Amino acid sequence: MIKFCKVFPFITSVCMLFGIVFHANAAEHAGGMNVPSIKSDAVMTGLENPWDMAFLPDGTMFFTEKCKGLSVRTSSGSVNKLYGMKDTKGYNAAGKDLFCDGQAGMLGVVADRDFDKNRTLYVYSTSTKYHGSGCKTNFEKCDGNIVMRFKVSSDLKKVSDRTDIVKDIQYKPFESNQPFGGPGAHNGGRLRIGPGGYLWVAGGDRHRGVCPQDGKLLCGKVLRIDGDGNAHPDNNPPAGFDARIYTYGHRNVQGIDFRPSDGRAFTAEHGPWHNDEITGLVNGGNAGWDPAEKRGGRSACPDKYCGYEPNQMDGMDPAVRAAYTPMSDTRFDDLMPAAWNNNGFSQGTGSAAFLKGSNWGVYEGRLAVGIMGIAFGDTPAGSRIDLIGLSTDGLGINGIVRMPLGFTKRFRGLVMGPDNALYASTDEGEIYKISASTK
Amino acid sequence: MRHFSFLKFIYCFSIAFLIAFSKIALGGDAEAGKIRYAQNCGNCHGPAGMGLASYPKISGKEIPYIIERLKTYRSGKKIGSNSALMIMMAKTLTDEEIANLAEYLKDAKYEN
Ligand code: HEC
Repeated sequence: MIKFCKVFPFITSVCMLFGIVFHANAAEHAGGMNVPSIKSDAVMTGLENPWDMAFLPDGTMFFTEKCKGLSVRTSSGSVNKLYGMKDTKGYNAAGKDLFCDGQAGMLGVVADRDFDKNRTLYVYSTSTKYHGSGCKTNFEKCDGNIVMRFKVSSDLKKVSDRTDIVKDIQYKPFESNQPFGGPGAHNGGRLRIGPGGYLWVAGGDRHRGVCPQDGKLLCGKVLRIDGDGNAHPDNNPPAGFDARIYTYGHRNVQGIDFRPSDGRAFTAEHGPWHNDEITGLVNGGNAGWDPAEKRGGRSACPDKYCGYEPNQMDGMDPAVRAAYTPMSDTRFDDLMPAAWNNNGFSQGTGSAAFLKGSNWGVYEGRLAVGIMGIAFGDTPAGSRIDLIGLSTDGLGINGIVRMPLGFTKRFRGLVMGPDNALYASTDEGEIYKISASTK
Repeated sequence: MRHFSFLKFIYCFSIAFLIAFSKIALGGDAEAGKIRYAQNCGNCHGPAGMGLASYPKISGKEIPYIIERLKTYRSGKKIGSNSALMIMMAKTLTDEEIANLAEYLKDAKYEN
């Protein structure tokens, strides 16, 4: 490079001397900034709520559909339906206990780090199997979200040996007096493999006020466990907490990924009509969401959940809501402050993936964040993918730009493919391949 | 006599005008409905009313059904468990907008 810089003026002078016209391309115009050109193609269409994808090195793509089940698209492009839910057709096998309702259903999927040796896949879903007698009202434990482990056959035609490695993530069984009060609210649901091959499970508060700050319940938590469901030995939650908990105080985490430069986990979570958040996690830390009533200066709330108060049935200035039930309550000493809060808006951050590969040019290492757009009250919809540069300390951002796609969709699931392209599933039913090139 | 036929003319004209006008008002204008839909309905119900995530599919339904639903929400009455969101959205709709939306949604289709 240094050599080139020295020689470049010389070459230019020679060219000018001989009257040769010098053609500069766009990247050179941008003062040497390595801005990639970006292109997108729908690799699958006509799916039903595709939620998450997991890749193998040869391009094989597992994917979930929220109310249908788990499928795989092989590297040759054929699709095998592997494991369906209750009342689905055409799947090689099905779990009669798996169901969907509202936001709940079959959500995250991820392949084990040693998949080529053990052919192990993990899947998050809603299940009736462990309800027991705990789901009679909305104010009980109600274990209804699980993590399953499967073996995938070498021909990618079936899965076997289902083992439920987490059986006790809470589920919302009934309607409540909230604006989006249907059953199945806030399950989190993203699964990712982090440093050392451990499994991370992102959760949600399932519209229960006490969930996020209660150390015995797995709702509103991020878990770090091994492939058998056991706690990572270094998890460091407060005394008395379930040892599987890595962080607590979350609302609804649907995005989690690990920064390539240091392995630190960052989450993307939905705000309650204010403050979508990206947060750099700290082992044992508190994300600061506490929607319980009669705390933090609040009075009683509808169905004991202050998450949309005050004035939950109408639009209002998001800042006023944020002051009443903050996403990151500074009351907590162990608060992990958010790196980004979407300018105080909630537009629905669904998923997040760090961009890997030099083909992303200046965006390499940025966090791609899928935003779904709800347009509640006076909030602009803003469905998009943002590319966010995070500061080294994870407490702020040093740049943000919108992925130039030329269209908007509800981007639900983002994951990097082995080809260094970003794959994005949309609620509209597509899976896009978004590729970047700096050539 | 002349006077009478003039009145008759006015009378017939008015009837014809009323019929024509009310036909528009009742039948709705799909183009106008499409424009109104694009303002904010699609943020939840998706392109062409296809239904997204937990927001119901609203395309391909009978016109009276959609009109009745929207008027119910507009009056502040609940239907399903997520009505609160929809009540807020319906509050400002006029009868004409509702008719236009229903007309548009009947044949709306998402294509990709
Ligand atoms: C903020 C999200 C949101 C927006 C924006 C929205 N809706 Fe809805 N809509 C909903 C929800 C949620 C329901 C289901 C409500 C329930 O449970 O009763 C619904 C239900 C409906 C239904 C009844 C469906 C059925 O078969 O029962 C119709 C019709 C409808 N919406 C039309 C519209 C139109 C037209 C617009 C634009 C003016 C609109 N919606 C904007 C969220 C939304």
